Amino acid sequence: MADYREMWSNLDMDLEKHDVLCQVLPEVFGEVYLSQQKRPRGMDFYDFVVSEIHGVRPAELIEHQKSGGKVFGTFCVYVPDEIVFAAGGIATGLCGGSQFWVAAGEKVLPPNTCPLIKASVGARLDKTCPFFRIADMFVGETTCDGKKKAWEILASEVPMHVIDIPQMKRAQDVNAFEREIHSFIKVVEDFTGSKISADSLGESIKLINNKRKALQRLYEARKAAAVPISGKDALLVTQIAFYDDPSRCAQMANQLSEELEERISRKEGVFPEDTLRIMISGTPMAIPNWKLHHIVETSGAAVVVEESCTGTRYFENLVDETAPTLERQVRALAERYMKTNCACFTPNSARIDDILRLAEEYKVDGIIDTNLQFCNLYSTESHLVKQALAEKNIPVLHLETDYSEQDFEQLRTRVQAFLEMLRE
Amino acid sequence: METDNRFYILFPNHHQGLRLSQLLRERGIDYLIAPTPRQLSTCCGISLIVKGGDLEEASQVIAEHEIVVEKIAPAPKRDGDWKYRSC
Repeated sequence: MADYREMWSNLDMDLEKHDVLCQVLPEVFGEVYLSQQKRPRGMDFYDFVVSEIHGVRPAELIEHQKSGGKVFGTFCVYVPDEIVFAAGGIATGLCGGSQFWVAAGEKVLPPNTCPLIKASVGARLDKTCPFFRIADMFVGETTCDGKKKAWEILASEVPMHVIDIPQMKRAQDVNAFEREIHSFIKVVEDFTGSKISADSLGESIKLINNKRKALQRLYEARKAAAVPISGKDALLVTQIAFYDDPSRCAQMANQLSEELEERISRKEGVFPEDTLRIMISGTPMAIPNWKLHHIVETSGAAVVVEESCTGTRYFENLVDETAPTLERQVRALAERYMKTNCACFTPNSARIDDILRLAEEYKVDGIIDTNLQFCNLYSTESHLVKQALAEKNIPVLHLETDYSEQDFEQLRTRVQAFLEMLRE
Repeated sequence: METDNRFYILFPNHHQGLRLSQLLRERGIDYLIAPTPRQLSTCCGISLIVKGGDLEEASQVIAEHEIVVEKIAPAPKRDGDWKYRSC
């Protein structure tokens, strides 16, 4: 078997503790993913990535560093990866989705912090994730109070740059974000020693747009009456997109989409006919958080779309590729990123418009609006989501959960009752 | 793929595993790429799962193409129904 212990040891990881995580993943992935029927052959690549999750990609990042490149760890869909790649760096998503890391985060964070933040801090402090050890710089952002304070803790570990995300979307806010991107360019240039030009930024805009287009194509396939891929598998593709090489990500997602399109032409789905179609909206599900999808899809329904950062928010809207100068490119980036609708903005009615539009496009029977425990922003916004959906007679269930298995059966009961109501 | 009577094929590195997966696909032999269960190895990485009924043919492919295999072992037995757990 591939032995990565030397690499992990060189990263100053806690091998003994990390070993506990390595023990659990094969069993959970086997039961949650490999037990599914009629999976597309194109999922082989993603099964491979999970099987080598702390091996192959970390080794690639280390090779990049050996040749003088820098790795930037990011935590949010508002961080413009284009800037990092334009300077010859690699951006890799770091959001923690594992319950395994939560306890370590709780040592320094208040208990009423969301599991994503706890896991992200815990993964670094506990030395049990190679990605958190490899990143030369962390790029935080101001999308919630918990994160803002967490960056101050992580800053004592790794060089940290925080991007100030506006809280409103007025013209002056888009201008402010444009200035933030200019500041980020300066930070990245200084850190990498590489100057970003209109040419290099133009190339990286295309690179990241291509990834977005491939994911859009994959999601398009999920609109078919006979759904050609499970929600769990689609979620895995998006989760991996956060840290895979962007051009390989596009290539593999396009290859998978081709297979899905063939399935659609044969009217071949992964679920029985008339399976209920569910949208999941709300907070992100970082790898390996597959809990809610697993509950829905083992309760006789299909997740056909995610309105979340690990869903449509990640890839909807492209950056204008025709901007001729660096200034105009940065403006195009600011405009694209400010189209993403997160509950950290006020007002955020455009997110509700997104949910209504997606409900129609994906022909959903019901929506599960969910938020991670202690995420005040999404939890509060759920009231307005519920109100808007009630006006359109779209059934909705609001759920709050974390990464643990403690509430699994309770959630299953609530989801099953919701599905039962949809069937009536 | 049925869950009973399955075998794990383990490799010294992922290149061998991916090569075999490609060959099995070409031969039309069903397989799954899976993380290696801890009961079978203390190291992480990919394995291929094949059905017991396909093992002989898979072994022929391994021999014909000189795929380097670390070991082939029956899938660990599960005690009763699996209950969801986080990882």
